[in-house]
Amino acid sequence: MRVTVKLFATFRDGRFKVEERELPQGSNVLNILEPLNIKPDEVAICLVNGRDVNAQHFLNDGDTIALFPPVGGG
Amino acid sequence: MLEGRYVRNQETLTDQDQNKLLASSVAIVGCGGLGGYIAEELARIGVRRLVLIDGDRLEVSNLNRQIMATEESIGLWKVEAARDRLQKVNSEVKVDIIKEWFEEERGTDFFNEVDLVFDALDSLATRVVLERVCHQLKLPLVFASIAGWYGQIGVSLPGDFSVLRLYGHGERGVESKWGNPAFTPAVLASLSVAEGVKLLIGSIPALRRAWLQVDLLTMEFERFELPSIEP
Repeated sequence: MRVTVKLFATFRDGRFKVEERELPQGSNVLNILEPLNIKPDEVAICLVNGRDVNAQHFLNDGDTIALFPPVGGG
Repeated sequence: MLEGRYVRNQETLTDQDQNKLLASSVAIVGCGGLGGYIAEELARIGVRRLVLIDGDRLEVSNLNRQIMATEESIGLWKVEAARDRLQKVNSEVKVDIIKEWFEEERGTDFFNEVDLVFDALDSLATRVVLERVCHQLKLPLVFASIAGWYGQIGVSLPGDFSVLRLYGHGERGVESKWGNPAFTPAVLASLSVAEGVKLLIGSIPALRRAWLQVDLLTMEFERFELPSIEP
């Protein structure tokens, strides 16, 4: 299946803004994070098709995954 | 009252809106980069009372971005330096200062007779606590956060869990590595005040159950939804 991965803020540093990925059926968000070298606890919020989900969430063909790091300063 | 002080608010704000602001009481939790600019803008636009909460003193590394920090004010309590400056800007605003860190059990005291709260904190965990306290006290909350070129801002009304969903994971944000330059707090504070003013005058805020993701590197402002969930 094919999904779209969007990275935000500091996650773009040394990576990309948006890319398409080919994944085997049954993949979850963790399978996206691993090759990007992003640990699950570095993700503040993950949206799949605009809904916030956890890292175990299973993906479907055509999904758009948006990943955000924690931005906490004041 | 100084004649003509609010003349340039007109048209954007009706007389009725201005009067609502001039009757309003606002708490700002955190008086650093974001909180300083938020306080400055609220004092200028004209609110009745500001409650500034911060348990920290000014240090040299604050000078790059905190509007209340000057070379003369290093070492002062942040809220004291803020009050001094705000009184020079608008002596008609009552500025109450609290030289303490925000804590859950102090919420009722801190937010006595407050209409709106701004989250200008720098701790993810305390942000979540602040949202909970605001909801318990039925207070609207405008939250904003910054790190490097990036920021987030939104509105959480009682029953929303926007802050919990955005900041409920992890101990420390990426600002610990990327720092905070001068422009990011100024932008995010202004966006916060624009939403806060709407809440104070009874207009509908744009960023309820949502947040605006601000990227000053690419100059992209993107809105994301946080639709209500069953608790």
